[in-house]
Amino acid sequence: MNKRLVLGTLLLTAVLAGCATGDGGLPDVRVGAGAPLPVGAQDPAPSASAAPGAAQNCDPRASLRPPASLPAANGMPSGGTLAAIQARGKLIAGVDQNSYRFGFRDPLTGELSGFDIDIAKQVAKAIFGDENKIQYKTVTSATRIDAVRNGEVDLVVETMTMNCERWQQVSFSSEYFTAGQRVLVHRGSGITGMDGLAGKKVCAAAGSTSIRNIAAHAARPVPVAVAGWTDCLVMLQQGQVEAVSTDDSILAGLAAQDPNTEVVGDAFTVEPYGIAIRKENADLVRFVNGVLENVRTDGTWTRLYRTWLTALSTDTPTPPPAKYQD
Amino acid sequence: MVTTESPVRTASPVPAPERSAAVVHAPAGRAPTVRGRLTASLRHTPGRLALWMTVLVALALLAGVAAVTGVRQRAAHLDALADRNGPLTVASLDLYRALSDADATAASAFLSGGLEPAALRDRYQADIAESGRALTVLGAGLDGDGAQHLAVLNSRLPVYTGLIETARSLNRQGLPVGAAYLREANGLMRAELLPAAQGVYDAAAADLRDSRSGGGAAPWLAVLLCLGVIAALVVVQRRLAALTNRVFNAGLLVATGAAVLLTLWLGVSAVAAGVSLNAGREQGSDQVDRMAQVRIDALQARTDEALTLVARGGGAAFETHYAETLDGITRDGGALDEIRAHATGVDDPHLAVVDRAADAWLAAHRDVRTRDGGGDYTGAVEVTLGGAASEFAAFDSALGAAITADSDVFAARADDAGGALRFGDLGAGALTAAMIAGIVIGVQRRRAEYR
Repeated sequence: MNKRLVLGTLLLTAVLAGCATGDGGLPDVRVGAGAPLPVGAQDPAPSASAAPGAAQNCDPRASLRPPASLPAANGMPSGGTLAAIQARGKLIAGVDQNSYRFGFRDPLTGELSGFDIDIAKQVAKAIFGDENKIQYKTVTSATRIDAVRNGEVDLVVETMTMNCERWQQVSFSSEYFTAGQRVLVHRGSGITGMDGLAGKKVCAAAGSTSIRNIAAHAARPVPVAVAGWTDCLVMLQQGQVEAVSTDDSILAGLAAQDPNTEVVGDAFTVEPYGIAIRKENADLVRFVNGVLENVRTDGTWTRLYRTWLTALSTDTPTPPPAKYQD
Repeated sequence: MVTTESPVRTASPVPAPERSAAVVHAPAGRAPTVRGRLTASLRHTPGRLALWMTVLVALALLAGVAAVTGVRQRAAHLDALADRNGPLTVASLDLYRALSDADATAASAFLSGGLEPAALRDRYQADIAESGRALTVLGAGLDGDGAQHLAVLNSRLPVYTGLIETARSLNRQGLPVGAAYLREANGLMRAELLPAAQGVYDAAAADLRDSRSGGGAAPWLAVLLCLGVIAALVVVQRRLAALTNRVFNAGLLVATGAAVLLTLWLGVSAVAAGVSLNAGREQGSDQVDRMAQVRIDALQARTDEALTLVARGGGAAFETHYAETLDGITRDGGALDEIRAHATGVDDPHLAVVDRAADAWLAAHRDVRTRDGGGDYTGAVEVTLGGAASEFAAFDSALGAAITADSDVFAARADDAGGALRFGDLGAGALTAAMIAGIVIGVQRRRAEYR
């Protein structure tokens, strides 16, 4: 009897001890799909304050008259902005690296290239006699005005539209290029212009005039803001937006990178491009205008257009004429 | 004089009136009720002995079950610590490192312009492969929060690699939109993948802490029950001695001895396991945590270094983040000083290399900034991909070696802790069986005397 008891106890102990704790439950998890937003993209864009009543009664094309003759390279008049730049040994230019054909980083060489870059080089060449004495700082549409105002850069050459509101914050050179806002869509989308984009998402760079024009358009499209223009092409290719709308000059650069897209509709704005310079540095504005006069007349402008912008139109236009307020 | 088994049958141990009372209470002419019979039998000594035995056996069984299951649970926690939680934590660190390194490498490859250097391409591919390996290991071992983060990683990593490959093929065609895809991929890494990898690490670390506290828990319930058994045994033995005029009962003595042994062993093994676990935490996992954090921060800083140049003048935020991170690592009383203060001996030689490489990397970075600030962009890129890259690599691999060394210390201590409990469930089971056998045999012998 005792043996049976002992045996039974042992068995019971063994059974109890053998109880294993285990849960075979499978995890219940959730994930989101969809393409990620480019860094800094805002969908929809915050409504841009359309600077009510901001001095609209100006001529945005009218700049400061250049001196009769430019000082020789490395012989900048002392005491001014130009002398300071010469002493520094390099011109600091704010440029874009995301506008194909205007200011972009050539993936093959790693160098910044484009129409805007070459215009900036002309200024460096006039100051130093060497177009490579230049340091680029990439700025976005949203940051370029601040960069000029706080002296971070000497000038900004970045497909920048001159308008009366911006004239209150910075000075501009004379007009060096004329663009107009159009629309980029997928080939065969059936969309022929801004009117076909009612309620659809349309991309443009934050801080550009284009994003305001989209928001203000009668067709009421939904503006989507990004940091750089190529981000718009990414979003179009990923189906995150229906269209990109900005200056035809920039759109041509985007269309050139994707044969499945096309620029449609007529230009519904006029965008005169100027080089932005700090308001205090009038001497630099006049000097740059002198450089631009030479660029217009000595064939440089035509050469640069043929190098970079033949995609816009095969017959080379004449450079836009300069206008001065004084 | 010690007499344990000399039967004394001369005197009846129970007073006579008590024995007759039961009979008297049973109503004449009617079968006694069950309750009546039970009460009656308890009035008899054999019945009372049977009750004592039942109570003692039940108590001993309870204590034994508590001891055995407790030991098994703690042993399971300790096994998990060494075989599962440790490797899972290491895998989660490997994952984080591989992901950030892939991102830093992709940014560097982009910087170089034109065809990316083969070495960078290989490194990127090795990082993605390593991420896949770590994800597989982690998927087999994590649940709850960890599984949710893993699901994010498993569903978004292919999106990331897809963006990188798109960027790469566009770059090869000379189209600047490739850079935009790279930026989008980098944003995805920073906004979704790295936070999820951090979540995976946190989950693995929490599991490790749970196992450690589970494995080091003091077996209070079992000890209390054992003490209860000892107390009950003492009481029963004294009553038995009073009843039978015999001081000792061999069976009950054996049971008492077994109970005392079980109590002592429970206490000693718990303390031994706790000491090993503490040593493992202080010399191993705490130090690994500190170094892992520095490694992760440094990887972020390396990505910042490349992105500052990719942004080309627009990367002030990246440079600020780099400066803050490196300051946190290298300043007096910073993360590296903290790590050195807790050096375990096995990581000393690696830490010396880490210090040297951190200083050299910082110097190379200053060179990069000076060149870039002075307009020598090409030179800045060259130094970033050359000197700064190799100093960073030295820093990262030395830190990795130190982490491996201290992880081994942790694994060894966890193993020691497990050793303190090895075969503990069998031992506790055997002692319980001895207790019960002793009680049953000891009491049955006495009961037999009343037949």
